[in-house]
Amino acid sequence: MRSAYATDVTVTKNTLHIKPVSFWKRLWLQRQLALMSVPMLLYIFLFNYSPLWGWITAFMDYNPATPLFENEWVGMKNFIWLFGKPEFIRAIRNTFAMAAINLVFGFVFPILLALFLNEIRTIHFKRTVQTVTYLPHFLSWVIVVGIAQTIFSSDGAVNQLLLSLGLVKNPVFFLGEGKYFWWLVGVINLWKECGWNTIIYLAAMAAIDPALYEAAQMDGAGRFKKMFHITLPGIKSTFVVLLVMNIGYLMEAGFEIQYLMGQNVVMDWSQTIDIFALKYGITKGQYSRAIAAGIFKSLVSIALMLSANFAAKRLGEDTLL
Amino acid sequence: MRKLVSLILTLVMLATMAAIPAMAESAQDPITVSVFIGEARDQPTSDNKIFKMIEEEFGLKFEFEFLAGDLDETLGVKIAGQDYADLMDGGNSAEKLISAGALIDLMPYISEEKTPNIYAYIQPYLKRLLNNDGQLFIIPNYGRYYNTEEYGMNYVNGPAFFLQKKVLAWAGYPVIKTMDEYFQLIEDYVAANPTNDKGQANEGFAILCDSWRAFCLFNPVQHLMGRPNDGDVIVDISNNYKTEAYVIQDYAKPYYKKLNELYHKGLISQDTFVMNYDQYIAKLSSGTVVGMFDQSWDFNNATDALKAAEMFDSTYQGLPIVYTAEEAGKEITEHYLNGTVINVNRGFGISVNCQYPERLVQFMEKMLNDDWQKIVWWGIEGEDYYMENGRFMRTYDQIQNATNAVWRNANSAYVLTNSMPKKQGQMDDGNKWDPLVQPECYFLQMNDYDKDFLSHYNMQRPLDFFNDPITIAPYGEAWQIDATVNQDANDAKAAFQDTERKMLPQVIMCDEAEFDAKWQEFVDAVNAIPVSDFVDFMQEQILELVAKNS
Amino acid sequence: MTDTTARRARHRRKRSVFPLVNAVAMILLMFVTLYPVINTVAISFNDGTDAVRGGIGLWPRQFSIKSYETIFSDEIIFNAFFITVSRTAIQTILNVVLTSMLAYALSRREYVLRKFITTVFVLTMYVNAGLIPNYLLLQRTLGLGKSFWVYIIPTMLSCFNMIITRTYILGLPDALVESARIDGAGDFYLFWKIIFPLCLPVLATVALFVAVGAWNSWFDTHLYNASKVHLHTLQYLLKMKLATTTNSANAALTSADAAASTTNTTPITIRSAITVVSAAPIVVIYPFLQRYFVVGLNVGSVKG
Repeated sequence: MRSAYATDVTVTKNTLHIKPVSFWKRLWLQRQLALMSVPMLLYIFLFNYSPLWGWITAFMDYNPATPLFENEWVGMKNFIWLFGKPEFIRAIRNTFAMAAINLVFGFVFPILLALFLNEIRTIHFKRTVQTVTYLPHFLSWVIVVGIAQTIFSSDGAVNQLLLSLGLVKNPVFFLGEGKYFWWLVGVINLWKECGWNTIIYLAAMAAIDPALYEAAQMDGAGRFKKMFHITLPGIKSTFVVLLVMNIGYLMEAGFEIQYLMGQNVVMDWSQTIDIFALKYGITKGQYSRAIAAGIFKSLVSIALMLSANFAAKRLGEDTLL
Repeated sequence: MRKLVSLILTLVMLATMAAIPAMAESAQDPITVSVFIGEARDQPTSDNKIFKMIEEEFGLKFEFEFLAGDLDETLGVKIAGQDYADLMDGGNSAEKLISAGALIDLMPYISEEKTPNIYAYIQPYLKRLLNNDGQLFIIPNYGRYYNTEEYGMNYVNGPAFFLQKKVLAWAGYPVIKTMDEYFQLIEDYVAANPTNDKGQANEGFAILCDSWRAFCLFNPVQHLMGRPNDGDVIVDISNNYKTEAYVIQDYAKPYYKKLNELYHKGLISQDTFVMNYDQYIAKLSSGTVVGMFDQSWDFNNATDALKAAEMFDSTYQGLPIVYTAEEAGKEITEHYLNGTVINVNRGFGISVNCQYPERLVQFMEKMLNDDWQKIVWWGIEGEDYYMENGRFMRTYDQIQNATNAVWRNANSAYVLTNSMPKKQGQMDDGNKWDPLVQPECYFLQMNDYDKDFLSHYNMQRPLDFFNDPITIAPYGEAWQIDATVNQDANDAKAAFQDTERKMLPQVIMCDEAEFDAKWQEFVDAVNAIPVSDFVDFMQEQILELVAKNS
Repeated sequence: MTDTTARRARHRRKRSVFPLVNAVAMILLMFVTLYPVINTVAISFNDGTDAVRGGIGLWPRQFSIKSYETIFSDEIIFNAFFITVSRTAIQTILNVVLTSMLAYALSRREYVLRKFITTVFVLTMYVNAGLIPNYLLLQRTLGLGKSFWVYIIPTMLSCFNMIITRTYILGLPDALVESARIDGAGDFYLFWKIIFPLCLPVLATVALFVAVGAWNSWFDTHLYNASKVHLHTLQYLLKMKLATTTNSANAALTSADAAASTTNTTPITIRSAITVVSAAPIVVIYPFLQRYFVVGLNVGSVKG
């Protein structure tokens, strides 16, 4: 069992659980921990929270040339405008769909890859595979999308493969039909980031006590048994925390890939909230709308994250908060 | 009493405000001028020869800020922070700087006595340049032609229906004027030559639809109707400048109907609607695309690649195609080229943060002297050009140098002078200011294939395929009108552009039997935006400009 | 008896097949990920004008180092390289120390401010004030513009990395801390002497994330230091180079600009060369970090 007041264990060892210790007393006893964290709290207030005054411009007709409080207050007008736009509603749908695909792909495949990498016994081979698979992370989206557009075009590699296998009669119009777009984004994202996302799990696996594997070996546990009973539980807490965190990011589907790959014909499926905010907001000088869209995103994200956190807690997991 | 005190105070303040900069400016001691340019450029080298000369003569050093990110975003941030360089070139969003009050009025510094060059430079266009309060915020950087009525170029840099030269040669050098002739020739050529000489399949007509470059999809209609590039609207100058969105008009239908036919004949591929710009350039460079509508500057890379591969016959000739009277509902005269006009609101303005506006205006004034203009355009005699019988000449290498970015970083002040007022047209002795327009230099660069090709048409320059430029309408070019100042117009414009980019490909690709219904669906969608919010705004702006400039 | 033998045999068979299947799968995966990378390198070494024709595979068609010459012709590039290396090093060290310290504090379940501080930090991941307020804070309020510090001060902490590290620390055996505490050790001692060394795998990850982010950032240079040539970062310069090439390739409306297309470099080859130039140093350094999380760390032996 963990002691509730570990810091003052040595001090109040005998009085523990007898005398309730006041908040300030405890804080004083934990002053070293406070020194480690409170300055950073102030730092984060300054750099991340103090600029949030900008959010009030969502309720204004904000023009950066005008001093802040001389801008006209417009109440909820910008929010009402956003939700009256069918394009915005579609953008929410697209963002959500692509983020969800990314979420699933982004967990399943990196973990699988990490597990399989972990099974490689030749250390050089392991390092080589790991290095090669993370390389695409460094290619810019322009390059990646350019390659993808060539591969998925009517006479591209994928269509040639499908045709030669006899799976389709005519080339599939991958890039021109909306129904494929979300999945293409999912696959391309996966290809670019899978190796990179593996790194976190590898780090978590590195911390697993080798003695556990040795003991399991003694008991005659096979490869997959060890995977399920040692490796996976070993990375569970990392997994849960990342999952909760990323559920909060369901309003975030990326920007560049859709911007570059979403040709005009598939606009209805490719436009995300960020692209919408750019198109109808920033580049048109309508900052307030972009901020309004941002606030909406933040609120939904936080709600999602808190619910996920709550659910994880109910399941008895160590989670984000 | 109180009034008197405040009056005195005001006077004192004005006096000090006037005195301080005057004192600072009177000295010609070396100063560093900060410069913002709303475009990406390379930093000049520290020993750049032209900047050295400028520093010696004017005592000015320059600290450049070029643009690596998005222009509107960057200007928005600068405006919010009131962070302006001394000289500001806001590029295509310069109006944002003006409306934010970032720039000072330059007219107090300009007069016939103080700045004879600048005065002469702006004088013919004063009406266009000054706003309703008689203020001038930006001295234009281009478009002031001296001693000539001629068009400023030898080739077409702008819009046209393009066709591979070998196709015209194959057909015996015909004169192609109408849409039917143009597409019929493409069809015949592809039927006779399904592949090019390398065995790659020929593609009849390409339409670039990549993001903003989708103008290739809808701009043709206005040119077919005998109008120059006015962006998203067409203006009827014979009918009181009546402005309308042309893609949804009846006269747009024949064009898209034609494209629909071509699509079903296999002359347009479905991939054309999803290819990105790089893929488009790659296709053009491989010599398989027979024709397309575009603006010449948009595919320079492809032209260069074709020339480098010595595929001269696959380079493109621009053709000024127009509708027949039957298609347009009226007689059409070709109007692809506008006469030259001063580049309003493009160039340097001086910001409110600048401590020495007088000195900078004087700098621009002196740089407009003929001696400096020769350096600006041609460089240093003996190094960058040579004289022969009173003519300015360049060797082939010197011409190549001028197009080489690395060379220019060390040997040209282009990054600065590009935003400054410049003389174009002719020098007093008949030489051209712009080396590229100087016939000797132009013909030195032209390859033999092109010379031979043009000779079959009894022409000397690619430009000769076009009618002479027509004097620009008093409203200028409507694509330059900034709709962001009006929220409704702006929203309608964005929705309009989205709709046409999204739906026109569907119209072109639909079954021939469904064409009329699909077309109507498109027109209804545009009208439902309502596009009139945008068109009405444009109409208003155009009439205002006409009232001001004529 | 026979039962066990059979099971063991099955076992052995499984053991012998799996590594082979695994290796084949990994080689396939390497091919899929490596092809575009090599393709990018090949394009970067191709003649620019030729490259726009497309169709380059794993080897340049017309070999040329013109793109690299263009990139390195800039006299400020070496200074920019130095600036980038400095900011990356400083930012990485600061982040690793501060992030792990904070993560340690927030991993102590008994810490009274734990929940509050964690919540405050986590929420920053989901709120964004927008560009202008952030700019005004750094530029006007703090006056960090036109200085090297704008690269360092706003980037000392990352919440994401802190959470990852905290989760990792929570996974370490409790006994490590508890036993030391009974010996009277303070938190700074515990953190530095016991937890920090144990965190190497996760801190190598954090260092990698931070370093890659710092290495690739250009936007802060663009916003705050664009007019100060001696503070330009490598990525900013490369970004500018690409934009310049793109600009002159589809040059604008005046004849002077139309002539500006540069000889033998095009956006396609420049873009590829830039990718190679910016990724190469990271790829070189990577193995040094990689061994911490690929080889693994024997926590058990440290414990002993």
